[in-house]
Amino acid sequence: MLENGVRLLPVDDDSWRLEAYLRRGGYETARKVLTTMAPVDVIAEVCKAVLRGRGGAGFPAGVKWGFVPKGGAGPKYLCVNADEAEPGTFKDRLVLLRAPHQLLEGMLITAFAVGIRSAFIYVRGEYARVSRRLEKAIAEARAAGYVGPRLFGTDLGLDVVVHHGAGAYICGEETALLESLEGRRGQPRVKPPFPAVVGLFRSPTVINNVETIATVPQILARGADWFLGRGLAKDGGTRLYSVSGAVRRPGTFELPVGTPLREIIEVHAGGTPEGRSIKAVIPGGLSAPVLRPGELDVAMDVDSLSRAGSMLGSAGIIVIPEGTAMLDILHATARFYAHESCGKCTPCRIGTAWILKVVERLRSWGGGPADLDLILRLAEGIKGRTLCPLGDAAALPIHALVTKFRSELERAVAR
Amino acid sequence: MNGKKQVCLTIDGLKVQVAEGTKVFRAAEQAGIAIPHFCYHPGLEVEGSCRMCLVEIEGLPKLELSCSAVVREGLVVRTSTERVREARKDVLAFLLAEHPLDCPICPKAGECRLQDYYDRHGLFASRMVEARERRAKKLPIGRGLLLDRERCVLCTRCVRFLQQVTRTGELGIFERAVRSEVGIYDGAPVDNNYSGNLVDICPVGAITADDFRFKTRAWFLARRPSVCPHCSRGCAIVVESVEGYPLRRSEKRVYRITARENPAVNGFWICDLGRDGRHDIDDGRHVAVTENGAPVPGLSWQRALAGVAAAIRSIPGPERADKIAVLLNARLTCEELALAKGLFVTGLGLRKVFFADRKPGAADDLLLTAERMPNRKGVLAAGFTPRLPALAELAGAEVLLVFGEYLPEHFAEEDIARTLAGIPAKYLFAAHAGPLDGLVDAVLPVAVPAEKSGTYINTEGILQSFSPAVRPCPEVAAEGAILACLANSLGISAGEADAR
Repeated sequence: MLENGVRLLPVDDDSWRLEAYLRRGGYETARKVLTTMAPVDVIAEVCKAVLRGRGGAGFPAGVKWGFVPKGGAGPKYLCVNADEAEPGTFKDRLVLLRAPHQLLEGMLITAFAVGIRSAFIYVRGEYARVSRRLEKAIAEARAAGYVGPRLFGTDLGLDVVVHHGAGAYICGEETALLESLEGRRGQPRVKPPFPAVVGLFRSPTVINNVETIATVPQILARGADWFLGRGLAKDGGTRLYSVSGAVRRPGTFELPVGTPLREIIEVHAGGTPEGRSIKAVIPGGLSAPVLRPGELDVAMDVDSLSRAGSMLGSAGIIVIPEGTAMLDILHATARFYAHESCGKCTPCRIGTAWILKVVERLRSWGGGPADLDLILRLAEGIKGRTLCPLGDAAALPIHALVTKFRSELERAVAR
Repeated sequence: MNGKKQVCLTIDGLKVQVAEGTKVFRAAEQAGIAIPHFCYHPGLEVEGSCRMCLVEIEGLPKLELSCSAVVREGLVVRTSTERVREARKDVLAFLLAEHPLDCPICPKAGECRLQDYYDRHGLFASRMVEARERRAKKLPIGRGLLLDRERCVLCTRCVRFLQQVTRTGELGIFERAVRSEVGIYDGAPVDNNYSGNLVDICPVGAITADDFRFKTRAWFLARRPSVCPHCSRGCAIVVESVEGYPLRRSEKRVYRITARENPAVNGFWICDLGRDGRHDIDDGRHVAVTENGAPVPGLSWQRALAGVAAAIRSIPGPERADKIAVLLNARLTCEELALAKGLFVTGLGLRKVFFADRKPGAADDLLLTAERMPNRKGVLAAGFTPRLPALAELAGAEVLLVFGEYLPEHFAEEDIARTLAGIPAKYLFAAHAGPLDGLVDAVLPVAVPAEKSGTYINTEGILQSFSPAVRPCPEVAAEGAILACLANSLGISAGEADAR
């Protein structure tokens, strides 16, 4: 399916071992980069490849690295965000399970490019099995000299620590992740200053998603042009699309950035089961505004989905079949954000709880259009006014559900 | 300003020039534009969580936090556009949706930000038909403080104060989302000497002091500035007293002492010792002249002072140096000390001018000093060499004037009694009742610092003038007035000093 068979995710289950990774030419790119390249050229190559963040915000990784102040006496840190908690997303888990060494190699290259000697991988608390394997892989790499001091005979070293989260969705937000990693309550910080300048332990810090970092070796091995050729001009490479819900073959699919949503659902995930049709699709994890069946001819890349009024987010596609009550979807969505709001800022803390109360009242006692208007009004009170993106992540999908399925919801709550 | 580069920006059409690095919020403040806020406090790190201070900054798509946005050259800020007003209303609507609205019985009513801001920026009808969260309403959190979690707006000022200022960290936020609440850790209540500040900085009535709760209402309080006399720091304070209703005779006047901002001395905080100073103003006060331990109705301090002057005059000039002894203290203002110097040292030529002060206590590393008198530096500046006398040094005197009630802190009462019994004429000038009262011929009631005007020099050498914050009782006089009157009746010019 992919040119040259270069895949982020190897297919066989034993591929995670160092031996298997070395057979595939593993760590050769890192060796080449660390021994022959200048850090500034590495950043330039990644910038040129337009590697957009795979975690949700879609910010170009190379540009992010460029924000880290050059030089400076203090330490700099690399944090890999493996707190994969966006509902409908299960791709980083596969990277960690099947290609942990590829992540480590990406970390070596990133650390070299930015001048980092110390890295953390923040793994979602629920991923116990995943992080056990990750730790084993790191131990293998350390024993073989791919992690630790004096890598590839150079003076460079990288120390890697795996940290387990405790199961809070908010810790996937980069500054909340840093707070949690520092041993405090996982709550977002005010930005600016951005982590690239003031991050972990008040030092410059690069934070990238697992998939983003694991993609880095490809770019350095085959060049930015090759990478861009696999994706789009402003959004390079392939992505891991998680597909769940009413499809015949749910799973994670590695496909070029910009693959049409309809193709992913109907061709790769096998389409809906016999006799069912699509009622709605959430294209980028729960936080992405819902799309109606008529809106599915959209390319799965950051800019196209943004133009379509939704977002690519973490590329977690949830297919909702005909016959599903949208009031239930609205309830599940409202409940999730009301539960996961960290409680720090006012609009998110109280707004999400208020919306949930209204939705629960509508489910139990019914209501009218004014109640739906109230939900919209509350979502608008949250949107763009919160400390971190969780506010928008809650307000946008709720707003979209109520707007796009208004007549159904009005019928559902009428008593 | 601090030699920093100046930056020009426009706020609501006003051109403002501020130092580089200033936050938009402060710049607006300097331009006289108040931006509503809950979590921002100039003495604490920016939290950015209440979202009340959002403003419009030209060129930026979203509303920005004025408390954390830093000024830039040419920045155009708008603080009261439709969008900003809408955002404020929404924040207020959210906060009020989970607020108990028990203003009629809330001690913060009248000085509550939520109340004030609703009045100024809200005024909408409630859309909340759902039930509020129910939470603990009167949770003791230590040091006489009570926490009402329903009123709390989770601005975390209290939490941050204890983390960043006292570094004791007794309070934390527990739970998540709408269940978030402020609390103490198991068995570790708030216990530090700055706990009262939590009440001051709480923008709503979530943390209240047992001492103030249900005693009066904020709108009855007259707030006047003064300087704290309880250690040598000289913190800026506000003395909050009730002058009219509901005060009856002999009822307390000062309901509260709160911190006043003074960047040069105390920043934004005062210690609990200073806050408890309200007892010093109202409790155990002498309100009339007493003779031999009993109040004398109708005897004015001026007439009592005539007796003092007569006693002094009865000692022939040459013998006065050794036969008249005076005890002063470092609570006297610089002006009073100058008068005392002119009267006792220069005028009467006394050799026995001593000082009896409060004993030093333990200092902390924040504001409280070991020295517990406010004007030690002023005593030195007035040219005194303050020294506590041995009782034997007082024994030979025939007239003794004691200013202040601090002698019993240094000597056993029976020793003082024995010494004073041997002195034919002895007078006490004291604000509070104490063990000396029965040992002297007469006690003339004097004012406490909050009732006076004057100047103190604090431990760092900073001169601070203050005016009366409360009116003393009619028969109570400041030492300055007493010294001036005494000098006058003895025909001594005690100098130019102010004898208000």
